[in-house]
Amino acid sequence: MDGREPGAQPRAGSGHRTVPHTADLQVEAWSATAEGCIGEVVRAVVDSFADLSAARPAGERACTVIAASDADLLAGVLEEVIYRMDADGELPAALALGAIRDAEGGRAMEVRFRMADTATAALVGAVPKAVSLHGLDLRASPGGWTGRVTVDV
Amino acid sequence: MSTVEIVLTEEGPYRWRIEPQAAMRVPGVVFATRELLPQAAGDKALEQVANVATLPGIVRASFAMPDVHWGYGFPIGGVAATDIEQGGVVSPGGVGFDISCGVRLLAAGVARDELDHERIRRLMDLLDRSVPRGLGRGGLWRLSGPEEMDELLLGGARYAVEHGHGVPRDLERCEDRGVLEGAAPGEVSTRAVERGLQQVGSLGSANHFLEVQAVDTVHDPETAAAFGLRQGQVCVMIHCGSRGLGHQICTDHVRAMDRELHRYRIEVPDRQLACTPVDSPRGRAYLGAMIAAANYGRANRQLLSEAARRAFATALGVGLELVYDVSHNLAKLETHEVDGVTRHLCVHRKGATRALPPGDPSLPADLVRAGQPVLVPGTMGTASYVMVGLPGNDAFCSAAHGAGRVWSRHQALRMVRGERLHSELEARGIAVRPASYRALAEETPDAYKDVDAVAAVTEGAGLAKQVARLVPLGVCKG
Repeated sequence: MDGREPGAQPRAGSGHRTVPHTADLQVEAWSATAEGCIGEVVRAVVDSFADLSAARPAGERACTVIAASDADLLAGVLEEVIYRMDADGELPAALALGAIRDAEGGRAMEVRFRMADTATAALVGAVPKAVSLHGLDLRASPGGWTGRVTVDV
Repeated sequence: MSTVEIVLTEEGPYRWRIEPQAAMRVPGVVFATRELLPQAAGDKALEQVANVATLPGIVRASFAMPDVHWGYGFPIGGVAATDIEQGGVVSPGGVGFDISCGVRLLAAGVARDELDHERIRRLMDLLDRSVPRGLGRGGLWRLSGPEEMDELLLGGARYAVEHGHGVPRDLERCEDRGVLEGAAPGEVSTRAVERGLQQVGSLGSANHFLEVQAVDTVHDPETAAAFGLRQGQVCVMIHCGSRGLGHQICTDHVRAMDRELHRYRIEVPDRQLACTPVDSPRGRAYLGAMIAAANYGRANRQLLSEAARRAFATALGVGLELVYDVSHNLAKLETHEVDGVTRHLCVHRKGATRALPPGDPSLPADLVRAGQPVLVPGTMGTASYVMVGLPGNDAFCSAAHGAGRVWSRHQALRMVRGERLHSELEARGIAVRPASYRALAEETPDAYKDVDAVAAVTEGAGLAKQVARLVPLGVCKG
């Protein structure tokens, strides 16, 4: 969590908050751009379970995420984070997101992660394992973009 | 999302009905007392019961067990059966991400009154060091590579036992003798294999645990004896599943079915209910991959059992005998009579345990007279139950799988501090070995329904009968 209270209304700039859900972790994020929103969600999910402040750097990873929609792109970036954590023992200490573009009848974006070694991270919550399509959302609103995702832990 | 207004009608003291409306093909049936019904504002568990009732081919009802709570797509504690020959669907969301998540109970050759606090502390310290859990700690069994993973996905707990991780009797006391036939490793993605390679023999995190317990109350001495349980006996309960491999399989197949819904003109009220006919290439592919993950889950619990055995042997000089191992996230192809006709069904149990009654021929020979053990873990501060299947269970022989959450993790963190909870449990004689204090707080006993009430309702509703109540002595939390 980021310390912000659930139930608070989205505000200017970028941010995220966790939302009560009995099963798992639900995150809402807001930003001026869709890419910013996706970045907020990734930070919220990683912060919910791992403290990387003293973790050993593990290099950089780059990938292209392709999905059917902007919302599915949000899920796809998170799924990339979860996959790298399990398969390679790495979590993103920072990330850079390219602009979302049309691709192959859907949407795509380039992602670069600055990774940290999970073996040297401090566990501070339940570890995410998958991204649900239940209530998945990423959309433009009058004040910018808002996103919502439910993560299985 | 569904816009169905949920109106519950009380059909009996432990049974509520949601009449079919809008796109619902069958009613919803919820086994609960008024107190156990989902109460929290915004809780969508009952709406999800109604949503499941819209699935093509669903028969009899969309059932909710007494521990039902808000999931995604299916409620957790949901049971739904579809008629395969009538275009019935399989929905990976109806199995859950953690395919074959389940519970295993082992009985130790020692009684509670033979152990003092110091011996329990030594045992828990050993378990703490030897049970991988949490983040980035790997598994107990490093497979040589994808080829050996294929063998494990085909062979399940049997493959583990054949390679020295357990004894043949373990398989007799596993659901399906430790291995489900029909696994299709070729339908398991490279990513799923990569995630699973280093996690065989690991708990994971969140609500997963390895708990040392003692039989506190025996409700049914004859059945308890058949299960190998007696008053005061020390036990080990293990709750975990198929780790990253199962989650990736569910993710992959939900995404594929979500893209292909139009092919079968299927509309679902929640994307996580994505589904496809059981009798279709995609349906068969999912079931083959799901079975592979189920076998992984059983092998995973087999490895953790071996770690527990080593710790008990070292700390206490005693062994552990398997009581039973049962999944509570699975779809199974079963035959049931519906409206007087024998039908081939795909029975989804998401957060629900199969509960076969006495006399069922598929039970191990030494359990046919008693019935199937139904394992209902509660919380680390209260109790867990061993129950047994009952005849006449119209929820396709299904029962509760746990206490059921009532608080979100967020609320738990607002209400409870992990350090304080740790101290309180220790003061009550429960030796707690958490992966982190925050994760411990998220799993506070207050976040769950009253497991005694859940067990009582499970019995009152005719789903399963109480055999024994177990209380925690120590817990390794994921």
